[in-house]
Amino acid sequence: MNEITEIFKLFGFQFFQNALLGGIIAALACAWVGLFLILRKEAMIGDGIAHTTFGGIALGLFLGVNPILTALLISILAVLGISYMRRRGLAQSDSAIAVMLAVGFSTGLIIISLAGGFNVELFSFLFGSILTIDQTDLLIVSILGISTILILGIFYKELLSITFDEEGARLAGIPVKPLSLAFNLLVAITIVLTIKVIGIILVVALLVLPGLSALQLNLSFKGTTLASIAFGTVSMTTGVLFSAIYNVATSGIIVFTAAAIFIITATYRKLE
Amino acid sequence: MKPDNIQMGAITEKSPVLEVSDLHVNRLNSVAIENANFTIHQGDYVGIVGPNGGGKTTLLLAILNIIPHTEGTIRLFGQNTESFTSWEKVAYVPQNATNFDSQFPLTVRELVALGRVNRGNLGRTLKREDWESVDEALKFMGLSEVANRRVGMLSGGQKQRVFVAKALVRNPEIILLDEPVVGVDAKTQERFYKKLSDLNLKRGITILLVTHDLTAVFCRMSKVLCINREVNVADITDDLKVDEVLRKAYGEHFHFVFHKHECERVFDE
Repeated sequence: MNEITEIFKLFGFQFFQNALLGGIIAALACAWVGLFLILRKEAMIGDGIAHTTFGGIALGLFLGVNPILTALLISILAVLGISYMRRRGLAQSDSAIAVMLAVGFSTGLIIISLAGGFNVELFSFLFGSILTIDQTDLLIVSILGISTILILGIFYKELLSITFDEEGARLAGIPVKPLSLAFNLLVAITIVLTIKVIGIILVVALLVLPGLSALQLNLSFKGTTLASIAFGTVSMTTGVLFSAIYNVATSGIIVFTAAAIFIITATYRKLE
Repeated sequence: MKPDNIQMGAITEKSPVLEVSDLHVNRLNSVAIENANFTIHQGDYVGIVGPNGGGKTTLLLAILNIIPHTEGTIRLFGQNTESFTSWEKVAYVPQNATNFDSQFPLTVRELVALGRVNRGNLGRTLKREDWESVDEALKFMGLSEVANRRVGMLSGGQKQRVFVAKALVRNPEIILLDEPVVGVDAKTQERFYKKLSDLNLKRGITILLVTHDLTAVFCRMSKVLCINREVNVADITDDLKVDEVLRKAYGEHFHFVFHKHECERVFDE
């Protein structure tokens, strides 16, 4: 009983409302973008870009600019770099991602050593700190997240068409190249807005686990999308609630919940 | 010159849908198609045959402007393919279309609806008439009952029909199919060819179909296009010419014995 009254009390706090709102927007964007990433067999681009943003975060802290904005800049450069390398035949997708990951991360290391370290703040970006999200960050997360969700909503059927059969989509006159690039930019944006929530290292979990769990259910595409979004949101809410009550790492609980959902859906599929 | 437009015993003015002249196509640094000249008219049902590696798929890809040609011209509906814009008139069912990831979360109805996604409705949701034509195509291909099943769970023959339905919802004027019935049983193949004949006869859709099944070509189609680097076309009713073009593609020793009554045995059971 005590816990339940505590939960109700939590909803009255500004920090909790911010965390929940920011978290749910990030979870929604991640689950939706992530499902497409899985189906495009490009889940690791999420991890690569997330690690690349480390350089952007460090740069922001060094220059005294909001690190989310510098991270956004660096992640967009990383996406453009990866697609340039692929297009020019300089590297396959996975190698291009590896190169960007390493370059981005080392940029961060160099900046940190030059600055003599920023410890606490940098730590919060590595592992997330949704409960300390301030109004400015919430505003940035909301604008980026809602734009991502809107763009995905508008070009949903084209992205599905490209994901399922790129050649066919091109033949139908769908602008495959611009849309693929736009999608990759959405991936970059989604990752950046999620970093504050769950941290650089665990972003990939929020991108992949909800979609993967939804895929176990053998639903239609619409059903799979909705299930993925629901799983992402549930994981996020559980994480924020439990961490606020028991004072444990939010990102840890989020990933554990998402992993538990995956185990349950995978078991369901085996039994079916 | 023998008119190309004699069909079903009636002379009608049929407009050319596909005109290929002096076509050369290179693929993987060697010549794949050499000096091809032929015309396909509206309502033609063309079987594309020839030995493996002879250039059948290459020809389709060149027509679709997916691979470039080195010389000559390909005109679709009177327009050069390089500058052709009305791709909605053209539908293509690629070889191994059904070889997709069977875990991909799409129902039959959703997959067929992807055929309605094009440049014209970019960024807009599909309308009611889009879904009506999806359901109509499903019905035509005998797929209504499995409309809400996951595509990955269907049999090979059903999957093939799904991809033809997807091609059909675009209301194309010409359909190109690359070996659509590989790996399915004879009965399913026959049913599939029957559906294509219906499309051709009832809706006047021009069909180009790559196949190894010469019996189907002779029984169902109006023209045979033989390709082995060199391309030759014959009306199916012109026995001598058919024999000549087959020999050109398969070699002088090629001997294909065919009796018209086989069609009844094969197809009208």
